[in-house]
Amino acid sequence: MNSIEEKLWNYIDGTCSPEEQQAISNLIETDEVYRRQYEELLALNLEFSSIELDEPPMAFTYRVMEAIRTEEAQVPLKAAINKNLIRGLFSVFAFIITAGILYAMFNINWSAGSSGSAANFSLPQVKLPVSLPPAQNVLTSTPVLKAFIFFDVVFGLFFLDSYLRKQRAAKQM
Amino acid sequence: MQSKLSDIELIEQTLGGNQAAYADLIKRHQRFVFTLAMRFAKSREDAEEIAQDCFIKAYRSLSNFQQQSKFSTWLYSIVYTTAMTFLRKKRLDTSSIDDENVYLQIENQQGSFENNLAEKQSRSYYVNQAISQLLPDDATIITLFYTGEQSLEEIAEALGMEANTVKVKLFRARQRLKEKLEKLLKHEAKELI
Repeated sequence: MNSIEEKLWNYIDGTCSPEEQQAISNLIETDEVYRRQYEELLALNLEFSSIELDEPPMAFTYRVMEAIRTEEAQVPLKAAINKNLIRGLFSVFAFIITAGILYAMFNINWSAGSSGSAANFSLPQVKLPVSLPPAQNVLTSTPVLKAFIFFDVVFGLFFLDSYLRKQRAAKQM
Repeated sequence: MQSKLSDIELIEQTLGGNQAAYADLIKRHQRFVFTLAMRFAKSREDAEEIAQDCFIKAYRSLSNFQQQSKFSTWLYSIVYTTAMTFLRKKRLDTSSIDDENVYLQIENQQGSFENNLAEKQSRSYYVNQAISQLLPDDATIITLFYTGEQSLEEIAEALGMEANTVKVKLFRARQRLKEKLEKLLKHEAKELI
């Protein structure tokens, strides 16, 4: 149920339907109560429209722009890196790897497997300008293998120790 | 030349890297944003902090502005949420100003109140005084409606409410403002006698 005041505010704001608008207009003309309240609200509406805006400090715009500039200067490196650069690098590496694989595929003697019973693929021979010592012997020799395993075990124990220390510290906190 | 550009043109220039365009946008809307902030903060320092936060947030999310509404409507929604967050953070007392202590506190804040007779005689001065005594929500709706050139639908969008809710709130806010204004004028009349 709308009060007279509510109806009149809707009329002043123009938020009621054309029929309501017409009905209220007639009431204002004929009804003294409506007319008096309408005039009062109209005067009040005029007063409310005279609201003055507050003035911010003189340097307000400057301060905001300074804050924005400072914020932009503090952007972390991760966010500052251009994503296009990352995509470009990825494309170059992907191209090199694909080209290498394709080159190898084209140079494989595919017919070698069809003649014999066992597959016998032969990779292209690379002739280097200098003769290197046979690496095969060094890698497969027993002392080197033992040293490698020993190093791996020590390295593994070291990481296990640091992991357990962290776990204990976290529990104590 | 720059001042004739529309908000949308200034936004496009800002997104293109022209920071001076954003400075123009701030100059255009700062008075209104600051006034809205004052409706919540009640102190110029806090209002300045809120208004500054709003413009920084708006700058950060300018690329997300869909242009489906006016820039001002979008900006006012940021002001509203920022001010609400600020109020929550500061835990300001938002209880009714009818409380005698708060009323006295506000009177004391108006240092120039007793000193400026010419200003005292201005009706708009009393309207502003009465608005400053309203609850933040009421004061915001009144300010948005009368000075923000916002329709009920736009206010509803800015405040995240239904247009009908805003209509009812506006009606109640006007009633309260009328009461405050009458109270202030009566108080003044008594002082002058």
